[in-house]
Amino acid sequence: MTHLTETTILTKPKGPRMIDFSAPRHRKKFGYLLLAPAVILMALIIVYPILLSVDISFQDVRIARVGASDKPWTLDNYRWLFASHEFWRACWVTAKMVVFVGGTALVIGLATALLVNQKFKGRALARLFVALPWAVPEVVATVIWAWMLDSSFGVVNWALLRLGIISEAIQFSQNSTAAFFAVCVVMIWKGYPLMTIMLLAGLQSIPEEQYQAAKVDGASVWQRFWYVTVPNLAPVMGVTLIMTTLWVFRDFAIIHVLTGGGPLGATTTLSIMTFEQSFSYFRMGQGAAVGVVTMLICAFISRALVSRFASKSH
Amino acid sequence: MTHLSKITVMGAFAISTALTALPAVSETLVFVSWMKDEPGYGDWWNEIIAEYEATHDGVDIEMTRVARDDYANAMFTMFAGGSPPDIVHLAAFEYQPFADEGWLEPLDAWIENSELDLTGWAGQGTCEWDGSTYCIMLLYTGYIMSFNEQMLADAGIDAAPATWDEFLTAARAITKDTDGDGLIDQYGIGLPTKGAGSVMHSMLNFVLDAGGAWTVDGEPTFNSPETIEGISRFKTIFVEKLSPPELGSGDVRQLFIEGRVGMTVDGPWVYNIVKGASDDIRPDLKLAKTPFSPPVGGTSNVLGMPSDLSDDKKQLVWEFIELATSEQFQQRFATLGSSPAPRPGLDYSEEIAKDPYFALFDAANTDAAAAGIDRLPKGLEIEFAEVSKIVLEETQRMLIEDLEPAEAGQRMQDRVLALK
Repeated sequence: MTHLTETTILTKPKGPRMIDFSAPRHRKKFGYLLLAPAVILMALIIVYPILLSVDISFQDVRIARVGASDKPWTLDNYRWLFASHEFWRACWVTAKMVVFVGGTALVIGLATALLVNQKFKGRALARLFVALPWAVPEVVATVIWAWMLDSSFGVVNWALLRLGIISEAIQFSQNSTAAFFAVCVVMIWKGYPLMTIMLLAGLQSIPEEQYQAAKVDGASVWQRFWYVTVPNLAPVMGVTLIMTTLWVFRDFAIIHVLTGGGPLGATTTLSIMTFEQSFSYFRMGQGAAVGVVTMLICAFISRALVSRFASKSH
Repeated sequence: MTHLSKITVMGAFAISTALTALPAVSETLVFVSWMKDEPGYGDWWNEIIAEYEATHDGVDIEMTRVARDDYANAMFTMFAGGSPPDIVHLAAFEYQPFADEGWLEPLDAWIENSELDLTGWAGQGTCEWDGSTYCIMLLYTGYIMSFNEQMLADAGIDAAPATWDEFLTAARAITKDTDGDGLIDQYGIGLPTKGAGSVMHSMLNFVLDAGGAWTVDGEPTFNSPETIEGISRFKTIFVEKLSPPELGSGDVRQLFIEGRVGMTVDGPWVYNIVKGASDDIRPDLKLAKTPFSPPVGGTSNVLGMPSDLSDDKKQLVWEFIELATSEQFQQRFATLGSSPAPRPGLDYSEEIAKDPYFALFDAANTDAAAAGIDRLPKGLEIEFAEVSKIVLEETQRMLIEDLEPAEAGQRMQDRVLALK
């Protein structure tokens, strides 16, 4: 009798079953449990709005109302989008802007990072000045640029006329090319400091021994740059380029304040088009469709760039 | 029952009775406006609120300010989120989508029951949407011309222009490069052209004067000969560089009081801006009747109520609207806002005695209202943002590619028709 009782107690413990998270087969579950609050929070604040946008983009709705009964799904907004000349023009403008702003900001960012990585008097001050545009609020900076670029009373036209570079004031609101480059210049001015800061951090992490070894092997300055600096910086460049690309894609304030997307759509990017459709024309279904397509393009570009630079870094 | 038990039961009964009665004696009406704390109009709202609260025991009005630039988006968010303000204050050009969505209460029955006579109420026609009245017009303004008398005199012109031809001649005479640096720094005219809406409003001065209109009986008429003549006049001003390009309304007013622009056409509010000019320029700045006939007139802002309020709250909101539209407060509107009120038959002799320009404002209002002018084209209210963008783009195309105004007008007409 005594023997039977002892066996029962040992093999079948009574009460609620407790999971032993220290056991190897439960260790992963503990990880998921710890991640759960963050995942649920992200789902609420990131995934829900995205799902809502996708839902609205499939509805023929001018003004979406939260909690209102959904209209039936339709592809009308996407049909309109892909048949719209405005959409393809906005894609082209966005692509041009991404390439020009991203490329120029990379070159300027790399040059300034290399510069402030050198040892010289006043380096701390130089680093501060390089990063300054990044610290200025975007709208404030853009309003100041708008004053500077004003065709009648702006300092830029005055200086160009005085220097004899132009014979007549440039009217940024009446010249598609000038308006496009004006927006790009402000974006580059605002965006290159991030590039500099990131690349400077990357430069400081390159082991000095690699340069010394290259020098011993007789590598010139250019060779050391191409074969030591650039490969080591590639992952940082990749991440920063992705960030800059996404920033240009989604940036709204600079274009809205400077040109409003004009003249004749020369600076209307996908983000400006999303805003116009949703909040100027109150065609939220169409605006959501532009937003969803923009999101997919961004996701595709990010994935492609991440893969490319990740493979380079290995 | 013990003494203690009796006291407990009576206490509970008293508390429950008080709690039941509480909502009836304490009601708050939410009122959102961009005019809160504005000198003039803000003071007028404060007086109405004070009077309303004094005559409605237990009802408070909670007025909150939202900046004008963010206003439409904020209101859409509030309505779309299901929590609209109880008293709806909107710009006259933006209420239509709210009415179209069924978010606003039709006011016809309320107007009829309270016997509010809106005959001759300036700009009230704009409040009619789809056969019903959704709001009460609070401000309608006729445009006037402000000019720099000294600049005109220096250019050999001794009287304010009274026609388009005189206006153009004066503008040509004033425009010049005063310091010889190759840049024009004194302009004859200041026309706001920054933003789609302002291009359309500025152009409307010339379109109306030429006998045209954006729409007739709700149908677009951008390609009518008269409208094309108006577009042509607008083009002349910019081709001849008689007005600085890329200016917002605020920029134009600033340049005017700085003495860099000779003439502007604006609402009566420009008078307050003129008063802020420096001592050496202010005596030269004068106001006169606009040289364009009929003058541009504009509905400004409206008052309404949401459709999904309880009947009790609707009654309270309507009483607030009644107070704002009463003769007493319309008269106060003119006094505090320094601008004629939309209610007809008010006596402005006191205001005119205080400031002779008030008669000019009243005449401009009367002329524009009598001609049924509104900046918002009838029949294109819902599509106004898209229409004004079309007008902006085709105007830019006309100026950039030097197109004939007739071609620009035809392109506008085709694109607007495609929208409808």
